Amino acid sequence: MKLNLLAASTPMLRVSVAALAFAMPAVAYGQAAQPASSDPTAAGKAVFAKANCVGCHKWHGNGGGGYGGDALSLRKTALTREQIIETVGCGRPGTGMPFFTRGAYDEIKCYGMNRQDAGAQMPPEGGTFLRQKDIEAVADYVLAHIKGAGEPTYAQCVDFFSSGSRVCDIYKPKEEKPDTTASMGKSQ
Amino acid sequence: MKRFSGQTIRSSRAHLLATAFAAGSLLAAVPVSAADEVSQERLLNVQNEPGNWLHHHQNYSAHRFSPLKEINRDNVKNLKVAWTMHLGGVEGGGIWSHGGLEGTPIAENGFLYVTDGWGSVYKIDAHGGRGVLVWKMDPKTDHDWAGAVACCGVDNRGVALWGNLVISHTLDGRLIATDKETGQVKWQRNVADPDKGEVITGAPLIVKNMAITGVAGAEYGIRGWIAATDLSTQKEVWRTYTIPGKGEPGSETWKDNNNAAAAGGGSTWVTGTYDPATDTIIWGVGNPGPDWDNAYRPGDNLYTDSSLALDATTGKIKWHYQHTPNDPYDYDSVAENVLVDLPGPNGPRKLALEADRNGFAYAIDRTNGKFVWGLPFVKKVTWTKGLDAETGKPVEYDPNKAVQTYVASVTPSRTNMETDICPGNMGGKNWPPTAYNPELKLWYIPVIESCNRIKVEVATPDKLKPREFWTGGGPSQPFKITGSVTAIDVTTGKIASKLETPFPNLGGMLATSDLVFTGQPSGEVTAHDAKSLQKLWEFNTGGGVNAPPMTFTVDGKQYVAILVGLGGAWDKWFIDSTPELKKIQPGSMLYVFAL
Repeated sequence: MKLNLLAASTPMLRVSVAALAFAMPAVAYGQAAQPASSDPTAAGKAVFAKANCVGCHKWHGNGGGGYGGDALSLRKTALTREQIIETVGCGRPGTGMPFFTRGAYDEIKCYGMNRQDAGAQMPPEGGTFLRQKDIEAVADYVLAHIKGAGEPTYAQCVDFFSSGSRVCDIYKPKEEKPDTTASMGKSQ
Repeated sequence: MKRFSGQTIRSSRAHLLATAFAAGSLLAAVPVSAADEVSQERLLNVQNEPGNWLHHHQNYSAHRFSPLKEINRDNVKNLKVAWTMHLGGVEGGGIWSHGGLEGTPIAENGFLYVTDGWGSVYKIDAHGGRGVLVWKMDPKTDHDWAGAVACCGVDNRGVALWGNLVISHTLDGRLIATDKETGQVKWQRNVADPDKGEVITGAPLIVKNMAITGVAGAEYGIRGWIAATDLSTQKEVWRTYTIPGKGEPGSETWKDNNNAAAAGGGSTWVTGTYDPATDTIIWGVGNPGPDWDNAYRPGDNLYTDSSLALDATTGKIKWHYQHTPNDPYDYDSVAENVLVDLPGPNGPRKLALEADRNGFAYAIDRTNGKFVWGLPFVKKVTWTKGLDAETGKPVEYDPNKAVQTYVASVTPSRTNMETDICPGNMGGKNWPPTAYNPELKLWYIPVIESCNRIKVEVATPDKLKPREFWTGGGPSQPFKITGSVTAIDVTTGKIASKLETPFPNLGGMLATSDLVFTGQPSGEVTAHDAKSLQKLWEFNTGGGVNAPPMTFTVDGKQYVAILVGLGGAWDKWFIDSTPELKKIQPGSMLYVFAL
């Protein structure tokens, strides 16, 4: 972590980083489960999946409407690295975007507010808490792979899903798409 | 696959059958004399084997009624857990952090067949007062492919039996036939395509050697259908689209210039019913898409929000009855149609009963699709002043209007972009099934007493993308949601009794002669007096009840079984209306009760 980044961040963030720094281990969230990767944002990708960012923003980050309301598009976001970090840590008051920093709105103020100040605008609590380093990692992943990336592509999808899932098939150029009837019938 | 229990007689029969298959015999040609070969004869006459539960909805009429009387109102207070079994399928995938259990167990000759949310099938030997897993068939469902386009959870509502096969669906669109004895997959067929936003959550309906499949995906721009697969040839017999093609009858009810019909929704994800007297399948159809922007799709939008009667042999539409034309509320009509015959002056009155998301219960003459009666079964309805006594249409419905506004002050529209509606978009009554007591002529509706807030987003053709939400807005939950069980006397079409519950009913009903069973998402399984609905027994499972109870016998002893594991749409999209349920943990467990 670089000190100049801290200097550029909001007062809230500085507090939260200071509060969490002592507990920060060397290995980022999810990294142990990932094979060694040359992509420095691989750890952030793991956070994006494990913290269920995909639950609303989808794998491609474009969000979209639906029963949960409209998760904003991270592809079209104008947020800076610091703002993304703040949004993940503190959530977005008055929306469904949860906060992922342990103690946010309690011992750590968010946007200058504690829980009482936030009142009905209090965002939901994330399904998991993230360490500051994980939040920075996911922000770096969003900046490197999602923000400004245009419409999702097959290459991006395959890059995100390392499994054999067919989730990426629709992004294939038409001539590459496999004939789905080929897998019908007695396949076992 | 190794069998964990069973009898040698059964095993050798399995061997004979396997040989028959190898010889290329058609399943329909296999003699049905064997006690555990499921035939059309047995499916038509389930009253002859009251200890079994052979249909998803108990019988072809979806009564979910058992004549078993060992457990009754006098002794139900003594009901206790007989055994439990942990199942799997809790893992997440796509946009879902975990799966849940919404299935109805099938019981045959002392064996249970249940599914988890990802479509694994478990055969459980229930003999001897305990449950032993015989086999598990894991279809290896493609979690990310299917889970990304499942609007409302990682769900599978159960199996059907046919011949020596267990017939099931997977969320990623497959119909699978598993050998009942060995647990080996005999064949499988792709019926739905998740690339188009199609997934399958319902149990198959078996009619005359065909498996009938419904589809989900109206929130993803599908064009809905009901499909029949021949279980001998594994070929499609018919596929009837719930949205008419260009020039077909009903296509004139899509009056837009957007080609809205091509992505018009009309899901069919709840198992339907079958009337053998007229060879008619009756099946509910879901909402139009985009859900909340009805100005995108002017016209009545047939056959969305309708009950459809199909010729079972050809799939041809015989009649339809639409509940909410040009729906701006997401009030789909996928619910099961319960088939009831009532004595009348001119012979029996043949009804189809449906409890709709829009808060009204309907009785339709199932010989012609004409409205008989309707009434609100929820405490609060704001979107209409009521139903026309003659037609059953909402009184504000104007057939000359392209875009319906109903009670305009509360109806979501392009000029009313944020508004509160009652019932909320989950209903009313959602998929959890009703039950019907033919002795008391009482029909029990599992109710979500709700309002919620709808925000409209104007839909434009460029927003329609494969595998992306196509909803024209979305709900939020500023209001507390509760529930009830509402019993309707079908001879009068009036409410006979109502029991209010702290939480919405997300599980559904079971009726016996003098009891009804149900559950709460806060964990309780309960038994009630069939007439007064007074609570007579309760057991807290410690999980969230999101599935209906059923009952069966083994070795002459009666049991009640229910799957417990809160999943579905509720804990992702609607939990803010029931904050106490946030503490309910994901789970996956079968509970079996006995005296």
